[in-house]
Amino acid sequence: MRKQLLIFPSIIFFFVLLVFFYLLLIDRDPKEIPSALIEKKVPNFETQSLLSNKKFISMEEFGYKTTIVNFFATWCKPCREEHRYIKRLSNEKDIKIIGINYKDNSQRTIKWLKELGNPYSNIAIDSNGQIGIDWGVYGIPETFIVNAEGIIKYRHVGPITKKIYDNFYLKIIENKK
Amino acid sequence: MTRTFSLSILIVIITIFFLKTNIYSVEPEEFLENPKQELKARNISKNIRCLVCQNQSIDESTASLAKDLRILIRKKIKEGYTEDEVYKFLTDRYGDFILLRPPFKKSTIVLWFLPFVFLSIGIFVLFWHHKKSKRKLL
Repeated sequence: MRKQLLIFPSIIFFFVLLVFFYLLLIDRDPKEIPSALIEKKVPNFETQSLLSNKKFISMEEFGYKTTIVNFFATWCKPCREEHRYIKRLSNEKDIKIIGINYKDNSQRTIKWLKELGNPYSNIAIDSNGQIGIDWGVYGIPETFIVNAEGIIKYRHVGPITKKIYDNFYLKIIENKK
Repeated sequence: MTRTFSLSILIVIITIFFLKTNIYSVEPEEFLENPKQELKARNISKNIRCLVCQNQSIDESTASLAKDLRILIRKKIKEGYTEDEVYKFLTDRYGDFILLRPPFKKSTIVLWFLPFVFLSIGIFVLFWHHKKSKRKLL
């Protein structure tokens, strides 16, 4: 009788255990939050451009070419490490790279880019993090793929590393079609 | 000696417990002048997840993004946004994950109903067992 009583809870217990093990085994980062902006149009914003005296107007930047949007800052160490991969992407044909300089010092950023090279065709200054919030950014570096219609197709949280680069490049190719 | 030691540990634990409930990270310059608006902002902030620390609300978190969001919420309230409009503004950008209390939706139905399903299974098993043991006694 007692045995019978235990059957049902045991089945449930093992089922829950199985679910937990499955979640442990699959390749996922529980800290990574899916972006709410996927398949949506890029947010509209206007700010100062770091590279020219002109204003940075988002409407003029998106909607005609596959664009990579990279949130970066000189104070962020992983940004420095991923910079070579952003530069590698800038050598690819038909890809435009926009940088968003997140809560940073402009003079320091210009110096940083002179030292490491500048892969960006334009850089928007996000001095107070408002543009970051509009893009749903929660920790830089973050990199978005925006297609030629100005729709956000993919978001990568964290630095683009050697391990990630190929997969990220594939995502660009997929969204170029 | 050991008694004093245990007593001091107990005092430390109690102090930490009360400290935790009283600590908020809202800085003085963030406060709104209008107390009604400030209260509204505080209530919203308590329901917004800090995406950097994840298990804290932005009201408790010292992360810089939490501060930015607190300021943004106050700005929106000053502009005349209702509570629902502020929540919508945030979920449009960060998804439902930013809410500490998951909304009742098609995609979260399992989350909301599973405890009741488990409870019913438990009650059923108990009744079933009770009935069987009664029959055995007879």
